[in-house]
Amino acid sequence: MSEFLDLEAQDGVRMTWNTFPGTKQEALGCVLPVAAIYTPLKSIPDTPVLPYSPLRCRICRSVLNPFSVVDYVAKIWICPFCFQRNHFPQHYMSISEDNLPAELFPQYTTIEYASSVETGPKMPSVFLFVVDTCMIEEEIMFLKSALSQAIELLPENSLVGLITFGTYIQVHELGFGHMPKSYVFKGSKEITKDQLLDQMCFFAGRPRPNVGVIAGPRDGLSAESIARFLIPASECEFVLNSVLEELQKDPWTVPSDQRASRCTSTALSIAASLLGLCIPGSGARIMAFVGGPSTEGAGSIVSKNLSEPIRSHKDLDKGSAPLYGKAVKFYESLSKQLVHQGHVLDLFACAPDQVGVAELKVAVERTGGIVVLAESFGHCVFKDSFRRIFQTTDYDLGLAFNGVFEVNCSKDVKVQGIIGPCASLDKKGPLCAETVVGQGNTTAWKMCGLDKKTSLCLIFEIARKDGPEAVSQPTSNQFYFQFLTYYQHSDGQMRLRVTTLSRGWLAGPGSTQGLLAGFDQETAAAVMARIVSFKMETESDFDPIRWLDRSLIRLCSKFGDYQKDSPSSFSLSPRLSIFPQFIFHLRRSQFVQVFNNSPDETAYYRMILNRENVANAVVMVQPSLISYSFHSAPEPVLLDVSAIAADRILLLDSYFTVVVFHGASIAQWRNAGYQNQPEHETFAYLLKAPRDEADAIIKERFPVPRLVVCDQHGSQARFLLVKLNPSVTYNSNNPPPPGGDIIFTDDVSFEVFLDHLQRLAVQ
Amino acid sequence: MMCSADDELPAVACFSLKHFTVLAATMDVAVMTSLAPIRCSSVSPSRSLSTSMASSSPPFASGPPQPRPWFSPTPDPNVAGAAQNSQIGRPQTSSGAPPPFAGPTLASSRPGPPPPFSSRPPPSGAVPQGPIASNGPPVPGFTAPRIPPTPSVQKAAPVGTPASIRAPPPSATASQAPGVRPFPGSPPAGASLTAHASPFVGPPASQPFGRPPAVQSPFAGPPTSQPSFTGSPTSQRPFGGPPTSQPPFAGAPTSQRPFAGQPTSQPPFAGQPTSQPFSGPSAQAFTGRPTSQPYTGPLTSQPYAGRPSSPSYMGAPASQPFSQPPTMGTPFGVPAWPLQPGQVAPSMPGNVQAPPRMFGMPPGMPGQSMSPVPPAMGHTPLAGSQVSTPSKIDPNQIPRPMPSSSVTVFETRHGNQANVPPPATSNFVAKDNGNCSPRLMRCTMNQIPCTGDLLSTSSMPLALMVQPLALPHPSEEPIQIVDFGESGPIRCSRCKGYINSFMRFIDHGRRFVCNLCGFTNETPRDYYCNLGPDGRRRDADERPELCRGTVEFIATREYMVRDPMPAVFFFLIDVSMNAVQTGATAAACSAISQSLADLPDGPRTGVGVATFDCSIHFYNLKRASQQPLMLIIPDIHDVYTPLHSDIIVQLTEYRQSLEQLLENIPSMFESNKVAESAFGAAIKAGFLALKPTGGKLLVFQSVLPSVGVGSLSSREAEGRTNVSSGDKEAHKLLQPADKTLKTMAIEFAEYQVCVDIFVTTQTFVDIASISVVPGTTGGQVYYYYPFNALSDPGKLYNDLRWNISRPQGFEAVMRVRCSQGLQVQEYSGNFCKRIPTDIDLPGIDCDKTIMVTFKHDDKFQDNAECAFQCAVLHTTVYGQRRIRVINLSLPCTNMLSSLFRSADLDTQFACFLKQAASSIPMSPLSQVREQIINLCINILYAYRKFCATVSSSGQLILPEALKLLPLYTLALSKSIGLQNDGRLDDRSYWVSRVASLSISLAIPLVYPRMISIHDLTTREDDGSLLSSNIPLSSEHINDDGIYLLENGEDGLIYVGSMASPETLQKIFGVSSVDGLPSQLVLQQFDNDLSKKLNEVINEIRQQRCSYLRLRLCRKGDPSGLLFLSYMVEDKTPGALSYVEFLVHVHRQIQNKMS
Repeated sequence: MSEFLDLEAQDGVRMTWNTFPGTKQEALGCVLPVAAIYTPLKSIPDTPVLPYSPLRCRICRSVLNPFSVVDYVAKIWICPFCFQRNHFPQHYMSISEDNLPAELFPQYTTIEYASSVETGPKMPSVFLFVVDTCMIEEEIMFLKSALSQAIELLPENSLVGLITFGTYIQVHELGFGHMPKSYVFKGSKEITKDQLLDQMCFFAGRPRPNVGVIAGPRDGLSAESIARFLIPASECEFVLNSVLEELQKDPWTVPSDQRASRCTSTALSIAASLLGLCIPGSGARIMAFVGGPSTEGAGSIVSKNLSEPIRSHKDLDKGSAPLYGKAVKFYESLSKQLVHQGHVLDLFACAPDQVGVAELKVAVERTGGIVVLAESFGHCVFKDSFRRIFQTTDYDLGLAFNGVFEVNCSKDVKVQGIIGPCASLDKKGPLCAETVVGQGNTTAWKMCGLDKKTSLCLIFEIARKDGPEAVSQPTSNQFYFQFLTYYQHSDGQMRLRVTTLSRGWLAGPGSTQGLLAGFDQETAAAVMARIVSFKMETESDFDPIRWLDRSLIRLCSKFGDYQKDSPSSFSLSPRLSIFPQFIFHLRRSQFVQVFNNSPDETAYYRMILNRENVANAVVMVQPSLISYSFHSAPEPVLLDVSAIAADRILLLDSYFTVVVFHGASIAQWRNAGYQNQPEHETFAYLLKAPRDEADAIIKERFPVPRLVVCDQHGSQARFLLVKLNPSVTYNSNNPPPPGGDIIFTDDVSFEVFLDHLQRLAVQ
Repeated sequence: MMCSADDELPAVACFSLKHFTVLAATMDVAVMTSLAPIRCSSVSPSRSLSTSMASSSPPFASGPPQPRPWFSPTPDPNVAGAAQNSQIGRPQTSSGAPPPFAGPTLASSRPGPPPPFSSRPPPSGAVPQGPIASNGPPVPGFTAPRIPPTPSVQKAAPVGTPASIRAPPPSATASQAPGVRPFPGSPPAGASLTAHASPFVGPPASQPFGRPPAVQSPFAGPPTSQPSFTGSPTSQRPFGGPPTSQPPFAGAPTSQRPFAGQPTSQPPFAGQPTSQPFSGPSAQAFTGRPTSQPYTGPLTSQPYAGRPSSPSYMGAPASQPFSQPPTMGTPFGVPAWPLQPGQVAPSMPGNVQAPPRMFGMPPGMPGQSMSPVPPAMGHTPLAGSQVSTPSKIDPNQIPRPMPSSSVTVFETRHGNQANVPPPATSNFVAKDNGNCSPRLMRCTMNQIPCTGDLLSTSSMPLALMVQPLALPHPSEEPIQIVDFGESGPIRCSRCKGYINSFMRFIDHGRRFVCNLCGFTNETPRDYYCNLGPDGRRRDADERPELCRGTVEFIATREYMVRDPMPAVFFFLIDVSMNAVQTGATAAACSAISQSLADLPDGPRTGVGVATFDCSIHFYNLKRASQQPLMLIIPDIHDVYTPLHSDIIVQLTEYRQSLEQLLENIPSMFESNKVAESAFGAAIKAGFLALKPTGGKLLVFQSVLPSVGVGSLSSREAEGRTNVSSGDKEAHKLLQPADKTLKTMAIEFAEYQVCVDIFVTTQTFVDIASISVVPGTTGGQVYYYYPFNALSDPGKLYNDLRWNISRPQGFEAVMRVRCSQGLQVQEYSGNFCKRIPTDIDLPGIDCDKTIMVTFKHDDKFQDNAECAFQCAVLHTTVYGQRRIRVINLSLPCTNMLSSLFRSADLDTQFACFLKQAASSIPMSPLSQVREQIINLCINILYAYRKFCATVSSSGQLILPEALKLLPLYTLALSKSIGLQNDGRLDDRSYWVSRVASLSISLAIPLVYPRMISIHDLTTREDDGSLLSSNIPLSSEHINDDGIYLLENGEDGLIYVGSMASPETLQKIFGVSSVDGLPSQLVLQQFDNDLSKKLNEVINEIRQQRCSYLRLRLCRKGDPSGLLFLSYMVEDKTPGALSYVEFLVHVHRQIQNKMS
């Protein structure tokens, strides 16, 4: 395992198979696809940033890298992807074995280029706040204070705009000095970019050009007209605060049997169009703060009538959510527009009820937006997460904009697609596999928004046919990959990060052990989670449990040690031993068992899953459980109901929630206040330790998880119980030990699951 | 030539056919006014006198001048000559002239007469009888004789008279005009003797002028007037002369006899009423007339038009015309008398006298005036020349409006009879004792024809002009408010008519009969009251609804579909580039800001402000911080309001914020580069803001609405080319471009939103289209073109202020009911009509008039009364729901002559005006002109045919009551709305303004008032500021004069090129004509003249309820041409002069007769 972590630390890449099956046939037999989870902007401390442009292969445009073969005499380098021989340009003439440019250093397989010549001047980052006002006053107060805090933290060089919406949409003209001023649009009516151009007086006093695309200061708009809506953060504080201060609940009265008229989709569309007009192609975020379901406009998710409930998974399955399809379609087109413009949509959905995250998902995910789901704008999940976005301290997100991600790989490998926060740029090429998973059919993807943690899951296909010619070449047991990420750094500079990888491959009989040695269970679990989520969303009649089970069984059949038809002889190599457990928990997780969740929550979980790295994805699939007790130091324990004991404190990290669970006795002691007595100082420490740990988790995680502190038998304990392996249930034969607990479920326990697996794997 | 006949038919002008045929130029026009019995009230009589005087006097005055023109122009009878003459006459008349006149006039007059004679004789000789205008119309015999004789007679008379009697001078000479005035004046003078003396001396010229004013005051004092009559007697003498002259004409005598016969008949009439005196005069005709007739004649004729008129007219005309007038008068008088009696009685004899002269004067005038005038002028040569063209009409003697500034008291009923109201333009105090004040509602005729046939025979319209919230005279008693408590006002259970003083209680008061539908209702128990011996309820005098023509009932819940709406005012201001740069935005903001103080007080008054260019900007004032929030509606194709409330705020609470905002708006948009205007969308948005409550939407618009809902294209360029190419569809440019705005307006009306539009523009804005909105919602258009930031803000402010502070009501519904026999045919005005019987008025104010036309669906009994009841349910600015009920009950008649006698010129003309205006956008201009002229001809023809059959066909005979109809018709045909080459917007504005115009403003709009101002301080008048009008003829404009012409809307100050520097300095603060600023802001300097001028202008403003848009006009400038375009009596390339027009009318009538 640790070797995989080292590799990740160097390049931000983890792969399901670190030794590839060498042929297409082999790859199919491996059940799990060859996949990589790549974190393009992972902070790698020693990565140099080169102040010049990269050297590229004449044919395949790949960038010079440590795997290139260099002829120092002839001043020639050979591209490892296409084997093209390239001459070094004049300024590389001094190259020699002792005088290498950084990009050829073997340890710099990941390196960045930042050339101002090539990428132009620094671009300001733009934040356009889109604020819902159909909320109770209290929520508005929370939101206002969060916003005004954020305003203080905004980077000096960024630009800020504000749109508020409810029944109507108000685009605030912050640059108007005389008084607060806003343009008001009707929520129920869609408005195109062109109409916006007319209606917002961008051409006041001047004729509008008849032809050509009109967008941005370079294409027909005056800087002044843009500055009306987007003003520098350094000047905005007074104006924004005065507008926010006066921000009130949507003034239109709502009948008691109706939902508020909320035109989220139109507001977002206007926001997108506004940015598209003002700063196309430059990094910008639309930050939407939504406090309830959208009921107006093309993206409405439910009618205003309260008697009609908001769609559930069941409705979606049955196709009885009439507005869903239309809304998704709307957001798909919105996402296309945003992607085209290079702008991000962030969603902060804070409401007790659903707000339409499921519909918005497509727009948020394709643009690489941040999503935070909370019950209230007053909840710390929102407040702290939001603050984190603008914090520049230890855990800053390193928000980057307007990225383009490209892949190069050896010709025997093709790319099926990416599951993750990006959008296909439809750049087709020989690398594109015929089977498409996620955003595919391309070798370039747009990542409008990305940060240090954003992780893409690339699914590869081994295209190599069986044949002798493959063996003939000396380098042929290596596949090469090169990931290129162009992005607008948070400082406004355009950069290119290049990661070049090489992995060996094995083919033919006897390769199983070799392959198994390169198997990364955690990555495999993360990839499986992404794939199953993806399939659940895109394939109708998809049975995830069955699919997972079959995959697991086939994998175990192929790589397990067993005698045919003898379940008891079954054993798994350590390389594979935890994987069934991951799959067991994945089957029980919120990604697969959606019916306990609303479509919004599911969409939320999946969006986070799809952008997280392997470690965090694994936590989502199989939460970690740590036990604190007087008897031992904090230790991880099995995620099993048997871990519960009256004198233990358990800390469960399920990524979205962090649960501190006090055993019954601990709770009693605590309630009695022993921790306050000097003689029970250790008890105080015991109580504090899991909290400290929880805080540490919360501090580095984004979105900030929800902290649940609960006691055994308390109602909140469900947050723990739901994640535990139900090895002891209400109808178990063996009762729990004293102080233990049972789970009221008919779900099978891991033991039963494993039994079945063994039985089926050996068939 | 001219004779006045006393019969019912008032004024008559006779033309000899032959003359006619011979040469237009030779045509003589005699205008005869029959005696109109005047109201008893001393005041009114005086007024009437003055008016009559004026009217008659002009003829005289003009007479003299005319001769000249005629001389020279003789060939062109009609044309300029007349103008020149008038000018000549004028100077004298108007100003210093008096003294000179006296001298000259006398001299001239005497000499003059001869010329006339000579001149006329020729015509007469040539066309012996033709030329003579006798009042004949009515009395054929008379006329006939007169005609031939008239000329001669007149001349003779003048001649003879002048010497011995003043009369001649007045009548015959130029002085006649003066003379006329003198007469009036003389009455005041009281000392008849003096008057006489003066007449003698310089009677004609000087006196007339000086007198007019004097006259008026004299009128006030009836007694004094009598003396004047003595003067009149003198005139009689002339009459006496005439008779003598008549003899010469063989025919004449005979005709006279008929008259004589008539006179006799008259006596009866006279006898009936109080008129005896009149009758006496009339009967006496020649002998007695002088005294009695004069009085009665003048007074009656004008005021009453019909009744007294006959006698008075008779007398008057007779006297002057010489024999004829009297005769005429008698006949007319006779019929008139019956009715008049009652009325007449009230009128002061003294007053009456004055009128007669007036009348008399005119009649005599025509022929005589010609000749005399020249003499008067002193231009004997001219006279001579004139002589050559004797046959012409003397422009100075033809009928013209006579202003009177004295106040009369008018009782709406007397002796259970409806009284005939004074002219709408006069200054009267109405006393409501059963019928409503004529300000609120008046009918085109004060007797209702019993049958539809009779009505159509008369060709006159039957219509009511209702101005339900008209401003009362300060001295009138306020309208009483009646509260019936929870049960609401008592109404007829069948027709739902409201209780009124004409409902008859029977069966000891237990039941009452509805005067509208005739249904017998039970009297509610708690309303029961015994009847007195006179059949009236004993409590009738304590209950306003039983003794007043107009009352206001407090409406109960039953009359409300919701709580009465608050007074809400929403201001929409154009802030597009042009509006800002021309200063219109600033002017509007400042006007609104200043006007806030004039909005109704109280917590229910709401105010909102929005601005617009290519988008609409609302302002949310209800904010924690002082700063309002500006909310822009960019979608101008699908408009909405950005907020549900808070756009409209309580005035009391947010006055400061509003003021602050209004102060900021101009600077906020200072650099606005948006040239487009989304007017349609803006009013829609304003409407949406007002939709929950209803209210007034006041829009300040500066450019053509070019974008958004209801956008318009610039049709003007297109229109102009079309016009020049003679496109028959040109009038379509005066129609709304499409239905969008109309549809919107109907929706506005439904939600009780009333739109007023203030157009402050430099360009075409398509008023034809946008005026639909105010026109449908009870609002109006204000038009400032071209807007000037220097001179117009004052008017803008005052207009706005008046708009919001004048008496007005909201969410009104109006319905007019009438007695069985009639039914409402159509309503017209600014309102929205959704169901056939009612009209919806989102806003109704004191300036708005609604015309209601009627048609017969049954017959009335002779002597029955026909009742009209107008009920206006409305909400006051303070949120009270009221029903104003206005009642008018008029007698029915079977006599056509009574109809003519009771015709109400002002009302009828207002009716024509409105009808013409409404057809302007619908038919080609030529057709509209033809229509109005035909209307005039038809009426006169009907009168001629059925009421004046006796007179010779050579005479143009005008009913006294309608004697100004030709003049007004002519003026109308030349008014802005009917000008071929006028700007579309000007014409559309005119059309839209006319639609809701009140009667009292209708006349000046078409026939503006002109006064000279250079001599304001030196002129001798009776103290009233506006008494001496100058006829609208360029001959009366002198190069060294400064004149003010006003039509209730614009005030044009014309500065002659030779105006004295001293005067200029006094008035304008500059010393030369060239130094005058192009834009006039009238200042008050520290000198009498300037003070007086300001006084005068303020007086006019007050009178018209309008802050005049003052403009300077200079000769040779476009502005000067503008001024001259108001000289409606002039001949213009496309139109006839007044005299020509009379000739034309006469010819048409003759054609019809034959």
